[in-house]
Amino acid sequence: MKNCIAFVLDGKVVEVAFGTTSLFTPTTTVLNYLRGLPHHRGVKEGCAEGDCGACTVVVGELTAAKKVEYRAVNSCMLFLPMLHGKQLITVENLKGPAGELHPVQQALVNAHGSQCGYCTPGIVMTLFALYKSASKPSREEIADTLAGNLCRCTGYRPLLEAAAEACSGDGRDEFAKDEARVVDLLNSIPCEGISISSGEQCYDQPASLNACLALLEKRPDAIVVNGATDVALRVTKEFEVLPQIIDCSRIDELREVASDSGALTIGAGVRVSEVMKIVRHDFPAFHQMLELFAAGQIRNVATLGGNVGTASPVGDALPVLIAYGASFILRSRKGTRTVRAAEFVRGYRKTERRTDELITSIVLPRPSARTKIRFYKVSKRRNLDIATVSAAFKLDLDRGGRVDDIVLVYGGMADCTKRSVTTEGFLKGKPWDRRYVEEAQRLVDNDFSPISDVRGSAEFRRIAARNLLLKFWSETNV
Amino acid sequence: MHQQIPHESAALHVTGEALYIDDLPSSPSLLIGRVVYSPYAHARIVSYDLTKAREAPGVVAVLSAKDIPGHNQMGPVVKDEPCLAAEGVTFIGQAVFLIAARTDAQCRAAEKLIDVKYVPLEAILTLEEAIAANNLLGPPRRMQRGDVEVALGSAPHVLKGELRTGAAEHWYLETQAALCVPGEGPEMTVYSSSQNPSETQKLVAEVLGVKKKDVVVEVRRIGGGFGGKETQGNHVACWSALLCRATGCPVKIRLFRDEDMIMTGKRHRFLTRYEVGFDDQGKLLGVKFELNSDAGAATDLSFAIMERAMFHCDNAYYVPAIDVTARVWRTNLPSNTAFRGFGGPQAMAAMETVIDRVARYLHKDAAEIRQANFYGLEQDNVTHYGQVVENNRLHTIFDQLMKSSEYAARRKAVQEFNAANEFWKKGLALTPVKFGISFTTSHLNQAGALVNIYSDGTVLVNHGGTEMGQGLHTKIQQIAATELGISIDRVRVNATNTSKVPNTSPTAASTGTDMNGMAVKHAVETLKDRIAECVAALFNERDPSAVHTAKGDCCFESDVIFDSRHPERRIGFAEAIPQVIVRRVSLSATGFYRTPGIGWDKTKGVGTPFRYYAFGMAVSEVLVDTLTGAMTLLRTDILHDAGDSINPGIDTGQIEGGYIQGLGWCTTEEIKWDSAGNLMTHSPDTYKIPTAKDIPIDFRVTLLEQATNPNAIYGSKTVAEPPFMLGLSTWMAIKDAISAVANHTVEPEYALPATNEVILLSIEKLRNMMKVNASEPVHA
Repeated sequence: MKNCIAFVLDGKVVEVAFGTTSLFTPTTTVLNYLRGLPHHRGVKEGCAEGDCGACTVVVGELTAAKKVEYRAVNSCMLFLPMLHGKQLITVENLKGPAGELHPVQQALVNAHGSQCGYCTPGIVMTLFALYKSASKPSREEIADTLAGNLCRCTGYRPLLEAAAEACSGDGRDEFAKDEARVVDLLNSIPCEGISISSGEQCYDQPASLNACLALLEKRPDAIVVNGATDVALRVTKEFEVLPQIIDCSRIDELREVASDSGALTIGAGVRVSEVMKIVRHDFPAFHQMLELFAAGQIRNVATLGGNVGTASPVGDALPVLIAYGASFILRSRKGTRTVRAAEFVRGYRKTERRTDELITSIVLPRPSARTKIRFYKVSKRRNLDIATVSAAFKLDLDRGGRVDDIVLVYGGMADCTKRSVTTEGFLKGKPWDRRYVEEAQRLVDNDFSPISDVRGSAEFRRIAARNLLLKFWSETNV
Repeated sequence: MHQQIPHESAALHVTGEALYIDDLPSSPSLLIGRVVYSPYAHARIVSYDLTKAREAPGVVAVLSAKDIPGHNQMGPVVKDEPCLAAEGVTFIGQAVFLIAARTDAQCRAAEKLIDVKYVPLEAILTLEEAIAANNLLGPPRRMQRGDVEVALGSAPHVLKGELRTGAAEHWYLETQAALCVPGEGPEMTVYSSSQNPSETQKLVAEVLGVKKKDVVVEVRRIGGGFGGKETQGNHVACWSALLCRATGCPVKIRLFRDEDMIMTGKRHRFLTRYEVGFDDQGKLLGVKFELNSDAGAATDLSFAIMERAMFHCDNAYYVPAIDVTARVWRTNLPSNTAFRGFGGPQAMAAMETVIDRVARYLHKDAAEIRQANFYGLEQDNVTHYGQVVENNRLHTIFDQLMKSSEYAARRKAVQEFNAANEFWKKGLALTPVKFGISFTTSHLNQAGALVNIYSDGTVLVNHGGTEMGQGLHTKIQQIAATELGISIDRVRVNATNTSKVPNTSPTAASTGTDMNGMAVKHAVETLKDRIAECVAALFNERDPSAVHTAKGDCCFESDVIFDSRHPERRIGFAEAIPQVIVRRVSLSATGFYRTPGIGWDKTKGVGTPFRYYAFGMAVSEVLVDTLTGAMTLLRTDILHDAGDSINPGIDTGQIEGGYIQGLGWCTTEEIKWDSAGNLMTHSPDTYKIPTAKDIPIDFRVTLLEQATNPNAIYGSKTVAEPPFMLGLSTWMAIKDAISAVANHTVEPEYALPATNEVILLSIEKLRNMMKVNASEPVHA
């Protein structure tokens, strides 16, 4: 299947061809594709960067159990080839055969859930995915699910109410009735990898790890993406033409999860929303970080491998991974190696990964029962915001209450994620007492020279960084 | 009437069928327009060459100021805003050139081929710089009552200080957009996302050099306005119109989010200095305000906004001696504009700061000080501009809300919590809003309507207001249906169209329903009179007995018209209409309304600028993490006066939405420019409006009962802007929590918005001050 992708839309398989005569390039977003069609203009562009959710659509995907799983995603950051083999559902598809509103639509109408209406189609789609998850969400879970949909009119309360009313059932609706047929349609789409070359761009979506590694060797300049929630901004905001993309989102090997008594191994291609479920019980600080990680629509496509691979100085995952003593498995055709999370980043958006390598999994050692790990994120807004300062701390006390081991990792304080080595050294062997912690707070200052930028002043960063240590103490001194 | 029916477009919203400008069906000849804007805050344009851009693939037109056939102006009040910059630029984001091409990508490619040379000049980017350079936009204004100097001189206590309130971005979800379609000769139809179609029509006609009769502006719905499309929706319309005229093709411009944020104006930043004199009980004796606003590069509505700020610096409080001086300053930033509250929030933030400081100084609960200073019912009820505060609901709302919010018990609980917690502090605050309803530019208080009844008994209502989510069309539909005694589905409210209702005022100043509702009512009354005459004649003809039906006997109810004295004489509404047509009677009528009883002397600053006041109060409780500055909004109780609400569902939505918008302005929404005048917060990545996770965990909104408003349609009261200012309750609660760090003994540093940074830095100062104080005895 060269230069062509296929997906299900409006109940049938749609093929999109790329090439010099095509209207589309492989980095055409699903949003722009839809808005070019005559009957899918319900989807809106609000920001073109995944921060408002007005463009939310639902992607249905075959599960191993031959069911369709529905995920709300931002169509503004989804490249068209990422739909290959999937079902695309838009707000226009929700009405029933006799024109009746879907339960989530009806609930929004009843609750006065729309005012200007511009964000509404996106909200409908987010709630539709929630409806289909049949998860009987709490108010807080609903608010969390909706955190990726900005509304400037309603103040959200009616949206929460509508969601609570509509999403408490078993997810049955017209889509459930049609599911077997859609499964057949999805199965009819050939599942081999795709390789698109279109004008100045080539876009590969290998279907196996081996194929991917071969491509990496061949194309050292290629940009590697999975969810592409970071890279897509170069297209949607900077209007760059990305010449070579390798898209790993179809590689099953990257989605494997293995667990034993010593560690949890998470495939680099496991989506963040899935990771949240996996780590919820055994890695609470990790889970806490993921709860503040972007918003639902992004978590539904973004992957752990992608987040650490971009090596953003304010990336949420890396500090926690370092605190947990995680390591990354890197594979190439030449072999496999393990790099500790703490040694992975080498500078501003620079990592240990060679261009022929792929991060295939993340190994999270299980902390001992005594180990205390916490994550903190200081951001202007609690959700869907980038950290001004973040921190992940790990503490092991010996039987005498002295610091046996301590790891203090900060994000947002330097051009990359960085440990406060002096402070760690000072605290080691000392009693975990407030007076030492207060003394150590001053040392945090010495380890960093933060900058002032749009997210906060250097002074604010310094104070917050110091305070986080005291906060950690206040939460762990009992 | 008074029913909770859904928004007239609700079903269209949830199905995605509601059309916004960018969704309108396009013709194959449609061109995409792009605005090329200034990269300098202040510069002279030395030269430019558009040749290469004009030759670029897909490009149909590239325009500069020289290509404007009409008047190069789009200032709504003062003609100080060129449509395209000619000799120089005065802010980053100012339109300089326009491009029309087949696609947006072609426009962007062509933009890179424009060769333009600027000579940068010194720019004024802050209020401080403007004040230092005496860069006034116009003469200062003053309002005063009593002798403030005497009051301050004799007051037992005097405090003074200053407050900065920040700019804010409207963040309507639909960015500015317009589609212009050429007609015959000079004709043009403009589909616009404008809160002020008549002004859009005027400015489009002026830049094109045609007459208003040639330009039709239509607004079906706006994807959020909040004031941001009261004047600045005109700009994209004018730019699209110029490209449309130059190419002869339909042209659409929809600003990209970042460009919208960079190019358009914000809420005015204010720097307010105040001085207050008060007695031991906290009674205000005299207050002096010096209001300074940042207008940006042009006038826009800055003077009207400052005027409203002057009218609202008292908020809900009687101040015997008051002196307000107001200065509007020009800077090299996009021209700031209307935003929900229109200067009111900035002024009220200053007054609430005054009250809060008095309370802290006297070690009293701030709610007590507020109550002590509310306008009285019988006395102390005249504002500083001489208007009597009639139908004053402040005391009723205060009493009810203090009780329903369990203020006293929670105050005690907050104190106990704070005593028991070193790193976490709670804060609690009640703030009121008293907001004057009417345009302070008095002639704008007029509205028109055109109602058509068709032969099948359905009704199409046209009026001058625009639907931007506030539910205006729904309320209008309710009004028309109620008046005609017909079911609501017989009535449709048409897209606002300048060819149907001319010379309209903007949908602003919270007056949409009050004014357009009355205009529609008047039109419907005319039609009812005509229908009744026909129906009465019909009854009398059909049954020429001794019984006589006069037109005044005819009742319109439940889709039936009947004689109230002889109810057996009846005819279905839909059945009656053809009878009217047969009798050759017009079923189309206009309606008009001018707000009565208002008027004031602008030069003296005295009179009755407002038809009535809106009232509301909120109690908010917050939890502050004193180590990070993070704030959690635990609970908000709002009691708001919506009169006899026409639609409680819609009004509750306006209150909640307004409050949350105010919350954003007060907390996370921070606009930052760099030292060259570039907007740093130009996308939602860095500009943070509230999400579903930021609303109060416990959110209780109630409409005041038994609150008939004698001064608006059906006893209702507008909602619209006033609840925005209830966001200040959260802002004050945060300050209360910060203040708890020093056990309320020190006045904390504070600003608006209270970002986590502002909170943490303020706490850090208090902590350091406490440390110094604690260590003083050692040094002594």
